[in-house]
Amino acid sequence: MAGVIIEITAQPGQKVAAGDEILVLSSMKMEIPISAGAAGIVTEIFVEEDEVVKIGTLLFTID
Amino acid sequence: MRAARDALKDEARPDAVRRQHERGRMTAREALAALVDKDSFVEYGGLARPVIEGMDAPAEGVITGTAKIDGRPVAVAFYDYTVHGGSQSYMGHHKLVRIFALAGELKLPMVCWLDGGGARPQDGSPGRRLAPETFVLFARLSGLVPTIGVVSQRAFAGHANLAGMCDCLIAVEGAAIGIGGPPLVYAATGSRLTPEEIGPLAVHRASGVVDIAVETDEQAIGAIRKYLAFLGPRRDEFQAPDPQKLRAIVPQRAQRAYDVRRVIEGICDIGSLQELRPDFGKAIVTAFGQIAGRSVGIVANQPMFLAGAIDSDAGDKAARFAQLCDAYGFPVLLLCDTPGLMVGPEGERTGIVRHGSRLLMALANARVPLMSVVLRKAFGLGFYIMGSQALRPAVLLAWPGAQYGGMGLEGAVEIAHGREIAAIEDETEREALRERYLAKMRHDGSAVETAARFLYDDVIDPADTRRLLELTMDTFSEPDPNRSRGTYVDAI
Repeated sequence: MAGVIIEITAQPGQKVAAGDEILVLSSMKMEIPISAGAAGIVTEIFVEEDEVVKIGTLLFTID
Repeated sequence: MRAARDALKDEARPDAVRRQHERGRMTAREALAALVDKDSFVEYGGLARPVIEGMDAPAEGVITGTAKIDGRPVAVAFYDYTVHGGSQSYMGHHKLVRIFALAGELKLPMVCWLDGGGARPQDGSPGRRLAPETFVLFARLSGLVPTIGVVSQRAFAGHANLAGMCDCLIAVEGAAIGIGGPPLVYAATGSRLTPEEIGPLAVHRASGVVDIAVETDEQAIGAIRKYLAFLGPRRDEFQAPDPQKLRAIVPQRAQRAYDVRRVIEGICDIGSLQELRPDFGKAIVTAFGQIAGRSVGIVANQPMFLAGAIDSDAGDKAARFAQLCDAYGFPVLLLCDTPGLMVGPEGERTGIVRHGSRLLMALANARVPLMSVVLRKAFGLGFYIMGSQALRPAVLLAWPGAQYGGMGLEGAVEIAHGREIAAIEDETEREALRERYLAKMRHDGSAVETAARFLYDDVIDPADTRRLLELTMDTFSEPDPNRSRGTYVDAI
């Protein structure tokens, strides 16, 4: 199952709370908002808009 | 006599206790004491000795008996990891056979602390004695009484056999589970693997073996209590969530996903939820919860995963969960937002034809009331299964965004009007016609139009959901405490 990154909402260095939206993924004709699992600082976002991603791809890290 | 009884206590075995604590774990007796009501434990077979002359094994490595948990009588079997690694023995099996038989006869929930690596090889060549009835008796408790297991550190071989039959299996971070431990794996394959390499917790969370994962022994004890509390009686004190929050959850954009857990939290008493198998079959969320103090089982499509399409794992997870609700007498609350069952060759390779049907068969044959709320998408066989009127739910409500279709709308238009559309030469005109047919279907499938054909009992303000479900549950009779499903609950 593949998906496309349609929007990157957060930026590296940004402080986020648990539940804050980081990016939006499109898969199976649905827009899926991907949120921060925990509070922290977004250290790196590994994907860019329009990129096709497969299951298991690391999307971002939060410290 | 006093000396013999004192020898069983943790105080008499400081080194063993210290080693267990160094592993970050409670001893079996500590865990038992933390779980059951004070002075409620009656121990059976504490003085039983191994069949091997002179072998030291307090309580034969497994503590069995009856007790109360929050006032509720239960039967317990707690393996003691500090006694020969919690291994199963001839006499230990006799103790289990006795307590399992008693649990079945007296209809007591069976709570097991499964901490060990299988059989004790020194205990008189296992092959020479009759196979113990332990596992058959435990299998026969299924559907008769709730069976709960906790794996704190290790459950291999015999312990894993019991774990695999529990209604609810709770495991602590760092636990390893496997049908065969390192010696068996080495004998079978020649590979030398540690217990963690054979079956770490992450594997069992993802495969559906473990229902609830916790971080500590204390949390495992809390999870047991919470699970048993759903059995009743009805709670007098509870906190209702803010009903207005339900209005803001389903996004305006039809293709935007949301986490259905927020809907479940918006309906159930605050803090009442216990989700089972969150890491398996993620396209459906299964959780026990309470509405105004009464227990329900919630089965909800999860739009965040596979757009809420029902795949084989989700079908399996929900089917077994429906069987549990049937066994305990809990009404099932179905929250529908699904485009249907998972189609395509990948889905077929997983046997979706059978695993999807499994869910329908479980719901159609459950003898508990069903309640349905259509949150958004209600298409095809997916909606049929997730609480359509054919299942005769006690109530079938729809939110204003509910979108009904006998099948996916694009496909329906193609089948009904494909030739007419293809006959048009001009592409813009062709697409315009297709869009007009789609718009008509969308309109016909909208909430009020669908209710007009009496496919729903009502279309409601989402903020009213809990109130209406509560009123509906007022019409149900109290679940019979002696209720039995009449047959077993599937292992997975």
